[in-house]
Amino acid sequence: MPDSTLRRGVFTAIGVLILCVMLFPVYWMINASLQPSGNTLTAGFLPLDPTFAGYRRALSEQGQNLVTSMIIALGTVVLSLLVSAPCAYALSQFRSRWVGAGLLAILVSQMIPGIVIANALYTAYENLGLLNSVPGLIVANCSSGIPFAILILRSFLQSLPASLVEAARVDGAGLVRAFVSIVLPISKNSLITAGLFTFLFSWSDFLFALTLTTKGDVRPVTLGIYQYLGTQVQNWNAVMATAVLSAIPAIVLLIAAQKYIAAGAIGGAVK
Amino acid sequence: MFTQRITAALAGATALSLALAGCGDSGGTSSSSGEAVTSLSILDYYNNEPDKSLVQKGLDACATKLGVTLQRETVPGADLIPKVLQQASSKTLPDVLMLDNPDVQQIAATGALAPLNDLGVSADGFTQGIVDATSHDGKLYGLAPVVNTIALFYNTKLLAEAGIQPPKTWDELRAAAKKLTKPGRYGIAFNANATYEGAWQFLPAMWTNGGDETDLTSPQVAEALQLWVDLVTSGSASKSVINWTQGDVKDQFVAGKAAMMVNGPWNIPSLNESPQVKWDVVQFPVNKPGQTPIAPLGGEAWTVPLNKDEAKQQKAADFVKCLSSDDNELAWAKARFTVPTRTALGPQYVKEVPSMKAFSEQVANARSRTGKLGEKWPDAAKVIYQAIQLALTGQASAQDAFKKASGS
Amino acid sequence: MVHAPTRPSRSEAPATQAVRRAGGRRRRSEDLTKLLFVLPAAIAMLALFGYPVVKNLVMSLQDYGLRTFFTGAAPFVGLDNYVTVVTDRLFSKALVNTALFTIGSIAFQFAIGLGLALFFRRKFPLSSLLRSLLLLPWLLPLIVSSATWRSILEQDNGILNRSLAGLGIINEPVPWLNSPSVALIAVIGVNIWIGIPFNVTLLYSGLSEIPDELYEAGSLDGATGWKAFLHITMPNLRAVAGVVLVLGVVYTIKVLDIILGLTGGGPANATQTLATQSYERSFVDFKFGEGAALSNILIVLSLLFAIVYLRGTRRAVDE
Repeated sequence: MPDSTLRRGVFTAIGVLILCVMLFPVYWMINASLQPSGNTLTAGFLPLDPTFAGYRRALSEQGQNLVTSMIIALGTVVLSLLVSAPCAYALSQFRSRWVGAGLLAILVSQMIPGIVIANALYTAYENLGLLNSVPGLIVANCSSGIPFAILILRSFLQSLPASLVEAARVDGAGLVRAFVSIVLPISKNSLITAGLFTFLFSWSDFLFALTLTTKGDVRPVTLGIYQYLGTQVQNWNAVMATAVLSAIPAIVLLIAAQKYIAAGAIGGAVK
Repeated sequence: MFTQRITAALAGATALSLALAGCGDSGGTSSSSGEAVTSLSILDYYNNEPDKSLVQKGLDACATKLGVTLQRETVPGADLIPKVLQQASSKTLPDVLMLDNPDVQQIAATGALAPLNDLGVSADGFTQGIVDATSHDGKLYGLAPVVNTIALFYNTKLLAEAGIQPPKTWDELRAAAKKLTKPGRYGIAFNANATYEGAWQFLPAMWTNGGDETDLTSPQVAEALQLWVDLVTSGSASKSVINWTQGDVKDQFVAGKAAMMVNGPWNIPSLNESPQVKWDVVQFPVNKPGQTPIAPLGGEAWTVPLNKDEAKQQKAADFVKCLSSDDNELAWAKARFTVPTRTALGPQYVKEVPSMKAFSEQVANARSRTGKLGEKWPDAAKVIYQAIQLALTGQASAQDAFKKASGS
Repeated sequence: MVHAPTRPSRSEAPATQAVRRAGGRRRRSEDLTKLLFVLPAAIAMLALFGYPVVKNLVMSLQDYGLRTFFTGAAPFVGLDNYVTVVTDRLFSKALVNTALFTIGSIAFQFAIGLGLALFFRRKFPLSSLLRSLLLLPWLLPLIVSSATWRSILEQDNGILNRSLAGLGIINEPVPWLNSPSVALIAVIGVNIWIGIPFNVTLLYSGLSEIPDELYEAGSLDGATGWKAFLHITMPNLRAVAGVVLVLGVVYTIKVLDIILGLTGGGPANATQTLATQSYERSFVDFKFGEGAALSNILIVLSLLFAIVYLRGTRRAVDE
């Protein structure tokens, strides 16, 4: 149908337009990263006379930090989902008077300022020897990942037809098996969505990285960026370049993850 | 990976036992280990290049001299105090701690720092302003090898084009700023934001005019605020000054969007990277002839947190002393465009670094922020920046702003 | 809470009853299994949040200052901290700003987010790629995005004013961050920008969980367009939309970095919120007791909202 092809083309055009508006600040940051001053005070709309000094510096100095950020973020995703998926399932399907209280407690946890948690963890980590460690930062980032994932997964699991699991139970499957072989596969979508944001929370964490490290050996890129931001002198050119570079591997990952959301809608599995 | 974790765990266990030992032993008796001190831990906020490496050079020189190795941690400036508090509550303060000079008294007042006089360190021959800042209750708690201040930078090319001499009085400053303002360019840029930095930038005007932080509602202080208000309302300075940091001010100046700026010498390396901008520096102008330009002292002091291990504490004090030796002061001053605090070094320094002449003169008469109010200074600074914000947004006149900001 | 909002109303399938009848021993072992589902999360929550919550509560009742960190001494002062922060002349302003900031941000984030999510549900070339790219702003450190926004919103040279003037929409540059009457709007605008990807992504996932069959069946009954949205989309999206809204409020009410990065609470305190005030008291004034008191007030405010939300879901269950 040529008519429908045209319509879909129009939608794509509108989509691109929306994206351009939403991502303009990102473009502006890229523009700034190509200015020698790192700011756009005298910049035109296009960086006609670009400098790549910031990128050279970022590439040579931030590579290791980028890897660290990636490991921590992925670790947080795995740990958060492992812990929160069963809990979210329980909160959505089991009947208990504690469910409401549990939900409220989880919500309250999200209201606590991060710095309060960070300070408490510092004291604990000091004693446990978890300062300056990747596992330590993963656990800390789970403080935003786990509650968030529980709440999100629960809201999705609520629409899970109970009959699915019950059918399996009648066939003799235990709770755990039913969860692993039925609930998890059809929740792929929501698991990815929850994982996506857990990744983003952890990726953008600055507070825990700052509080829970005391040496340079474990340093996520959010903290690494500060080696260009002195108390009095700031090298915005390198800052902006680092931000651009560090976004690239992450966005590739996000695009890959999002592809699954489109692919595995629940409708197919339920039929 | 695995061994790393074991090491970490061991380190944690050691720290724990040290902390426990520290708790048990509150009699104040020395628990000197008797062994030679072989390492010192350091915390500072020179976290960016080139400062980080330049400071490291000085630290290394003293470490070699004293035969110790260093474990240095650097954090972003705004996070130094939170870090110090965190370490204080878990008793893990470093052996040598760098503090911004206006914070020294506040931290010293908590009893966390060792008085340096008792450890054979003195500040004889230092410029008085900085000694005031690093002393509390008559005792010396830190040494600042080098200091900085703020003065008036001007674009020599733009002033020459307009046929203007660098201003010496406020009237000349107003007139020059007005004349230098052209479409797309302001006569002057400064920082009047709602932080301590905004208060700091106001001090040259306030102090030069005889204003004082102990009496912020005086006409002298109001007159100084009127200068800021005049510069903004006449359009000679951008309305954005209420939101600019000192870094933004420098960017405006480098981009040719401001012909003059109030700023400090730490910008010189980056100004030198933009050779198209020709500049020079003069002291901050005076309101009336006969006044002396008085600016605030900036810069960091090195302190020694109290340590049960007396040998280590002594070593740390020696280290701090070494950082303020003639050689190191000069080396840091030259490399980092700061002014050595030993007044005797002044003439030689200006000869070697002529671009620092105005700043050196300005430092000679500079005052420290905490000299009069001590740990009460932050309260006054808050009133100052809030009053500036009120006046520059037109919510209060320069006369009423300080009254309104102090809530009376 | 007697009635738990555990799941949407659905008559119990006969299979459940069959399982229920299977005898007490199996039930007990099953209760244990059920406990195991929750246990790891419960332990994690307790370990990560138990101490901070209690600490924050206790701290708000203490004279907890700079000295406390060094000496450990923090005398109890009862409710003094709460009295101090509530009677502060900036409190009511910060409260109003917090409300405006939260309501303004959430309303627009959610509306725009839902609109975009619906838009991206239409199948067109590149839709999934474009939707993924929408998350890009979340990958940037906040210090960088706020610095970029500051330069965009700059009064004299910012690209926004330059563009608006170029298009002839404005004659005078808008003092986005410089005027006490405009700054809050600008800050809300930036926060909306930050929140949109969150709303789009979650709502989109919620939408894709709605089985197509429902729409097919609906269209037979004549429910298309708006009708389908009202009678099929909305009810089925309720659980996800609810959690998006409640999390949105909880996260927005404590937003700090973006305000500090854009205006630092200025000009002339025009963008002070309870969160920025709490930060200021703790880390600028070093009055940690007062900072904790303010953050507890903030927690109570979002708690009230959370309870309203939970009641809402419960009603939905009982219907």
